[in-house]
Amino acid sequence: MILKKLKWPIYHIFVAALALVMVYPVLWLLMSSFKQSNLIFATADSLIPQPWIWENYKIGWIGIAGQSFGNFIMNSLEIVILSTIGAVLSSAFIAFGFARLNFTGKTFWFGIMMVTLMLPHDVVLVPQYILFAKIHWLNSIKPIVIPQYFGIPFFIFLLIQFIRTIPNELDEAATIDGCGKFRLFFRIILPLVVPALATASIFSFYWRWEDLLGPVLYLNRPSLYPVSMGLKMFLDSDTVSNWGAMFAMSIVSLIPVLAIFFAFQKYIVEGISTSGLK
Amino acid sequence: MKSLSLKNNLIGYTFIGPFVIGFLIFTLIPAAASLYFSVTDYDLLSTPSFIGFENYQSMFTDDSKFWASLKVTFLYVFIGVPLRLAFALFIAMILNTASKAIGLYRTVYYLPSIIGGSVAVSIMWRNLYGDEGVINIFLNALGLDSVRWFAEPAAALWMLITLSVWQFGSSMLIFLAGLKNIPPELYEASNVDGAGSIIRFFKITLPMLSPIILFNTIMQTIGAFMTFVPAYIISKGEGGPLDGTLLYSLYLFRQAFVYFDMGYASAMAWVMLIIIAILTGILFATSKKWVHYESKGGH
Amino acid sequence: MKAPKKMLLMLMAFALVLVSACGGGNSGNGNIANSTNTPKSGNEVKEDTTDAKPVTLRIAWWGGQPRHDYTMKVIEMYKAKNPNVTIEMEYANYDDYWKKLAPQAAANELPDIIQIDTQNYSQYAGRNQLADLTPFLGKQIDVSDISQNAIDGGKLGDGLYGINLGVNALGFNYDPALLKKAGIDSIPENFTWDDYVEMAGKAKAAGLYFDNGMRAEVFFGYYLRTLGKTLFNADGTGLGYEDDKMFTDFFGMLAKLVIDGAVPSPDVLAQIKGAEDSHLVLNQGIGVWQWSNQYVGLQQVANRPLAIAPMVGPNMEKGLFLKPSMFFSVSENSKVKEEAAKFISFFVNDIEANKLILGDRGVPVSAKVKEALKEVSTEAQIQVYDYVAWAEANSSPMDPADPIGSAEVFKSLTSLAEQMNYNKIKPEEAAKKFRDEATAILKKNK
Repeated sequence: MILKKLKWPIYHIFVAALALVMVYPVLWLLMSSFKQSNLIFATADSLIPQPWIWENYKIGWIGIAGQSFGNFIMNSLEIVILSTIGAVLSSAFIAFGFARLNFTGKTFWFGIMMVTLMLPHDVVLVPQYILFAKIHWLNSIKPIVIPQYFGIPFFIFLLIQFIRTIPNELDEAATIDGCGKFRLFFRIILPLVVPALATASIFSFYWRWEDLLGPVLYLNRPSLYPVSMGLKMFLDSDTVSNWGAMFAMSIVSLIPVLAIFFAFQKYIVEGISTSGLK
Repeated sequence: MKSLSLKNNLIGYTFIGPFVIGFLIFTLIPAAASLYFSVTDYDLLSTPSFIGFENYQSMFTDDSKFWASLKVTFLYVFIGVPLRLAFALFIAMILNTASKAIGLYRTVYYLPSIIGGSVAVSIMWRNLYGDEGVINIFLNALGLDSVRWFAEPAAALWMLITLSVWQFGSSMLIFLAGLKNIPPELYEASNVDGAGSIIRFFKITLPMLSPIILFNTIMQTIGAFMTFVPAYIISKGEGGPLDGTLLYSLYLFRQAFVYFDMGYASAMAWVMLIIIAILTGILFATSKKWVHYESKGGH
Repeated sequence: MKAPKKMLLMLMAFALVLVSACGGGNSGNGNIANSTNTPKSGNEVKEDTTDAKPVTLRIAWWGGQPRHDYTMKVIEMYKAKNPNVTIEMEYANYDDYWKKLAPQAAANELPDIIQIDTQNYSQYAGRNQLADLTPFLGKQIDVSDISQNAIDGGKLGDGLYGINLGVNALGFNYDPALLKKAGIDSIPENFTWDDYVEMAGKAKAAGLYFDNGMRAEVFFGYYLRTLGKTLFNADGTGLGYEDDKMFTDFFGMLAKLVIDGAVPSPDVLAQIKGAEDSHLVLNQGIGVWQWSNQYVGLQQVANRPLAIAPMVGPNMEKGLFLKPSMFFSVSENSKVKEEAAKFISFFVNDIEANKLILGDRGVPVSAKVKEALKEVSTEAQIQVYDYVAWAEANSSPMDPADPIGSAEVFKSLTSLAEQMNYNKIKPEEAAKKFRDEATAILKKNK
């Protein structure tokens, strides 16, 4: 029984130690944002900034060439929120179709969806660009956001697997009660996969926030640039890159993502306390 | 009977309709175009000219870098993905309690995933593995020699692998969601039956989690094959040292945008698609043996 | 209940999307006002008439913050003088810039004015993506103060596809104090490769690196020129030298320096992030072999007096050349080529504008501008002007632009150099391998 008493502290020590290892690089990033740009790498092994400066944040916020960093963040938020709403809801909708309904060609389309997952983006990049050019969607966020409303295979697959963990008896009971498929989806299934929805939202938010490829290709004007591009503008191969400002703004741009994570993670925590059969 | 089928089809296609439409417009047409590019000589700046299977041929017979990048990528996937999943599952299980501190830990473990894809992190990662970097300092403290991570292809690949494993948080999240979905009654019932924690793990947790494990495995594998940014930043776009970090998609990128050989790059992409498809197919086929679905009617 | 809320969200989202899709927002409309879509026949726009028609120019460039800042100011200056011109600016950092440009070309959406470097020049010019600027010379583009040499930097075949924005020359940027520390008084005039190796040895003995290596793709070409050969043959279909001994001599010497420790090994170099990290700045290395336009940045970071020495001989004059650091080109599918040409001329000739540019894109090609700049330039910048002026008098015409496929050839060269520096392959073997690989790549140009 000593083992049982030791279990808790051992767990804690292990989890805490690993957490430290996990977080060290992030701490390094954070601390570096308070160091003088030219000292960041020279003093890389010491976490403590000597001297501690706030300049990087001020300079970084002013942004690049007339675009304040706040502008970049607004642009990112616009793209990300629009995309996430579309991606998660449409994917759930589609996933229900695959997971619960029967229709001719279901396996075929499922296969297509899986294949889409595996298509390397670098390749459809150019043809997609030409397509978007032809419909005059260039230099706007449309090519980035609108396709999100047609389902994201990753989320569709995730939600399918989740929906499948819900026993069929539930559906049967609801159908007997007179529930049509749409009500079944909205009223019963959707609430039951909230953890998956929350997870998908977190992922979508984060992916679109980090996305560089879409913005690079489809946004020409710096006034449209999101955070991901704004950060890269601090780097320059010819002259000295402004590491301090870049790290500082990277930390700043972490905040919305973290906020979303915090907000949604409790949905994952709650989970379902009943199997829903009641 | 027939009308039932028709009604079923209508409803079914209404639900998956958005995907079908999106696929046709945003994926099928561009993919067909890229398939066409792959049998042409196309440099993006002039019109493509048809050359048959030449791209594919020279890829397999004439291009040592192709094989090198495949080897590097396979190593990256088959070492990195299992490590990542193991960590993710292990930590998810540990964290799957309702204590307050756990919320903090969960965030901390997920943090790397959130910042992971960014350029800043890759730059920082390079620095960690520098000759005077923290990793070497740590090794020295343990009495081991410093490693010249940038000098040996094998060592350099470890930089990428560890970066990927460090970001296990995303898989962990998915496992956590899955763990939460396991009805506690199952555990309670097994307690009554006197089952120990090991048995509980193998008889309840794993089977209930298996659809999620399958999902994670497939997704991580596919994602790993397509890794680009870390390799690009850490090797400054070169894939060095001596092609040690030349992941497949980095090589593809170079072919397309540095050598202006879009045709060849398209061919490379289709080859990669086939490889991934085969692997995924294998995973799916074997999944029947070990994946358990609560609902009936699986694929 | 959660479901109705979600429905509402979904509806809202759809509404948002519809609004932005139909209304087009600012970005959509901006696209329609895009120059490439407004029909303008070629002969309409004339010089400086007060009732000139409105024109929209799209200009794209890469760079860091300083460059973006001053370029925007220069554009404002131009707009002040030409109020009928609207200018849409597109800028990004180096990597993103090129990733964006190629798809734009594929979709015929290139900006009107594009900044291009010599590396990608043949690719775009050779594939008819760039307009021939010869008809504009002397008219919209004032070249009265620019030497023919500088103009010819943009020649490809019979056409001129880019205007040289500034010239560069190779040299040894070093710290004279550290040089003395290694026991060397000064770099001898007309020093040779043997002298170089000797100095490197002294540096090593004093615990310093002499330099940080010679980038294979840049300096091998220089070496071949001193021997009267070139890296690529005249029409870009093969290598420009037959004797592999040249390869072996050059790389054998360099590899030995690395293996002996007078020059850092590739993995050490791989970890250098930028000027602030370089061995010179950290007082661990005496100098750097690089282009003159990188001198000012280096000196600023090092924050102490540095000097520029010429390249290594014998036959340095045959080897040295003035290289355009970058061009402004006009895209072939631009509908406003005349205005674009005017802008480029302004950029290159206007003295007030250049007081903002201050040689950031290379030493200005206009002699008048160079003179005027001397009053407002820093010590380091004047050092560069002087060096480039000296180089102009002590160099020979540059090789033709790198042919199509050069990127791959350079990759092969740098790969082999890396292997030689790690002592994984002998120079003789590498020489042959390079010849085989390069020839296979270049013969596609036949």
